[in-house]
Amino acid sequence: MISLEHYLAVGAALFGIGLVGFLTRRNLITTFLCAEMMLQGVVLNFLAFGYFHGHIGGQVFALVIVTVAACEAGLALALFLTMYRRGHSLDTGEWQSLREEGIPATTDTEPLPRPKPEPDYPQLTPAGARPSPTAEESARV
Amino acid sequence: MSDPGIQMALLALTLPLGAAVLSTLLACTRFARFAHLPAILGFAASAATAGILLGSLVGMESNEHVISLKSDPVTWFAAGNLNVNFTITVDPLSAIMLATVTFVATWIAVFSAGYMHRDPGYGRYFAIMGLFVFAMCLLVLANNFLVLLAGWEGVGLCSYLLVGYYYAKPSSAAAARKAFLVTRIGDVGMIFGIFLLWHIGGYHTDIDKLFEHIAKHPPAQSMLTTACLLLFCGAVGKSAQLPLYVWLPDAMEGPTPVSALIHAATMVTAGVYLLARCAPIFVTSETTQIIVCLTGGFTALVAAFTAVAQTDLKRVLAYSTVSQLGFMFMSLGTGGEAVAPSLAVTAAIFHLFTHAFFKALLFLGSGSVMHAMGNVIDMRRFGGLRKLMPVTHLTFLAGSAALAGVPLLSGFWSKDQIIDNLFETTQHANAPAVYWFAFGIALVTAGLTAFYTFRAYFLTFWGPERLPPEAGDHAHESPWVMLVPLIVLAIGAVAIGLVVEPLTHGFSEFLARTPGLTQANEHTKHAAIEHPHFNWAIAGVSSVIALSGIGIAALLYRKGGPEVVPASLRGVHELSRNKLYVDEIYGAAIVQPSELLAAASRQFDALLDGVARLVSFLPRLLGAVLRALQTGQVQFYALGMTFGLAAFLIVLLVRSTR
Repeated sequence: MISLEHYLAVGAALFGIGLVGFLTRRNLITTFLCAEMMLQGVVLNFLAFGYFHGHIGGQVFALVIVTVAACEAGLALALFLTMYRRGHSLDTGEWQSLREEGIPATTDTEPLPRPKPEPDYPQLTPAGARPSPTAEESARV
Repeated sequence: MSDPGIQMALLALTLPLGAAVLSTLLACTRFARFAHLPAILGFAASAATAGILLGSLVGMESNEHVISLKSDPVTWFAAGNLNVNFTITVDPLSAIMLATVTFVATWIAVFSAGYMHRDPGYGRYFAIMGLFVFAMCLLVLANNFLVLLAGWEGVGLCSYLLVGYYYAKPSSAAAARKAFLVTRIGDVGMIFGIFLLWHIGGYHTDIDKLFEHIAKHPPAQSMLTTACLLLFCGAVGKSAQLPLYVWLPDAMEGPTPVSALIHAATMVTAGVYLLARCAPIFVTSETTQIIVCLTGGFTALVAAFTAVAQTDLKRVLAYSTVSQLGFMFMSLGTGGEAVAPSLAVTAAIFHLFTHAFFKALLFLGSGSVMHAMGNVIDMRRFGGLRKLMPVTHLTFLAGSAALAGVPLLSGFWSKDQIIDNLFETTQHANAPAVYWFAFGIALVTAGLTAFYTFRAYFLTFWGPERLPPEAGDHAHESPWVMLVPLIVLAIGAVAIGLVVEPLTHGFSEFLARTPGLTQANEHTKHAAIEHPHFNWAIAGVSSVIALSGIGIAALLYRKGGPEVVPASLRGVHELSRNKLYVDEIYGAAIVQPSELLAAASRQFDALLDGVARLVSFLPRLLGAVLRALQTGQVQFYALGMTFGLAAFLIVLLVRSTR
């Protein structure tokens, strides 16, 4: 028999793993995934309580949270994309510009490897010849 | 409001206000150079209305002895026991004042149109002048102490604005401040006086009802005396009496027509008017009357003495104004058991009336001189102007003679009545010594007046012609717009006294029909002198004094040129030249201690600021410590949140298990 405690234990485990990941991982996308994981742990709690109390509220809440998480994911990923375009990095340590004035930037003892520069893709040589107007055409104009 | 007299009075009251509004509006447009038109037309219409009103009052056949029209009370504001009505009253006293104010103001506005020509503040000048005339009319028409106070403060404000008209000039700004502050000292007393009267007068603020109540239910004599003295404080401030006269000579920093209108002819007489209006309660207190008389006497003497050696033409006239106001107060102080109050007030108001003409004339004449001399008014720097400015010279001569009290001119009749009143009081009053003293002061002052007036006249217009460099090569007689008012006022200064009083006693009989004065007369039922009369001996003595004063001045100054002071009189001369060091004494006794107090307060304030800064330093210190936490690292913040959540959960757990 699966009791409420089992559900709660799984939820807490999900939350805990997500939390540790959120605090320790430095890649923005991984961090974000960890945050989502914490969210799912919470959702599991809601569902478990709702189920065992025989109340529909838990499921409603779960649906709302999933919807919000989806919107949030869309927004967050769009932001990450623009940040990557600006800094060519997704390292959270690179983004400290909102710190208090006069506080020195935190530097990592082990910086992430810099992303490789984009390979120099070959470009197609221009082909064909520039069209030149013929005598008839100019006359037509 | 059905009474046509009241309607006319209201019209005369509102016309200057309308003129002020129109002038203000014009001043804001590019037609600012026409700003004098609404003022002149408004004042003239107001003067015409006031004249018709006065005429109708004179011709009014009344069964009763008194003439009095009152407007229906309109509640201005009310709270608890205090019920303030906007009521105006038209009686001989207010009608005469109204007509004088508007008539003189009209001609001064005409003069100003020439004098202030091309001044950058032209529109502002006429707007304030309109406001002033409105406030003055309100003051004289008011039948309620608080309405009167509104007019009283209104004229004070306009005086401040006009003295400080050249506000960029430091001396002018300082003079404006001084005028406002010094009169304020008196006004505080006056406001307390009104409170006290309201309290003892059955909680009325309407003047007539209040006095009737006091007459029916006489309060304690000491209360009444206190109330009178407090009101007198206000009059002392506004009418520049000792010890608050110091603001008036400094007020000459304003444009000269302003000096003529406000600081000679109208506003400064408000104190005299107030005492005349309040005669029913003043005559009940003998102490007050003696104080009023002595204050006037000392002021008259001190101011006349100071005027003797002044070098600034306008200052001579300013001190002369103070001195003449002192005369009026001396006369007001004689009302009582000896001289019927109506006669005492009549003499004061009559002198006020003639003084308005000749003093306005003298000021405008000095303005005309100033205009020609390139704004130089120091008599040491010009002289012998009688060929250059013939009209100004003759009109100034007429004004000087009237002021000096040359027989048959208007100043002679009015001053004579005052001296006569003083003399009669010495014969019949309870405290003859005081009045003998005042009588002596009046005679000496009359002589000094004649002397300093003609000293100024001779120094300005006689002797070799001397012009200051500021006058340039265009020193000339003033334009007609300035000369016509001079001529009109000169005719008034010469003839008005003769016309209205000595032959017919018309002025005094008309004025005695003022209800307040009748009431005052009822209080002193058996005054020794009840009817106007003419005392030839007194007239002879005062004529001799006036003529000898003029004669001495002629002997000393006929040749013009720099003054020669005999060595024996040099000390006295210095004393007079330096205004008896009154300003210096006030500076040392009042201004400097105040400044010290201000400096001490400033230090104390700095101390308080220090404490406040200390208090505000603590949050800043805390902020400086906590600021280091804001690293900008998302994960650091998340860690903080986690710890916070953990701490919260632990507390929750511990509490729930306990």
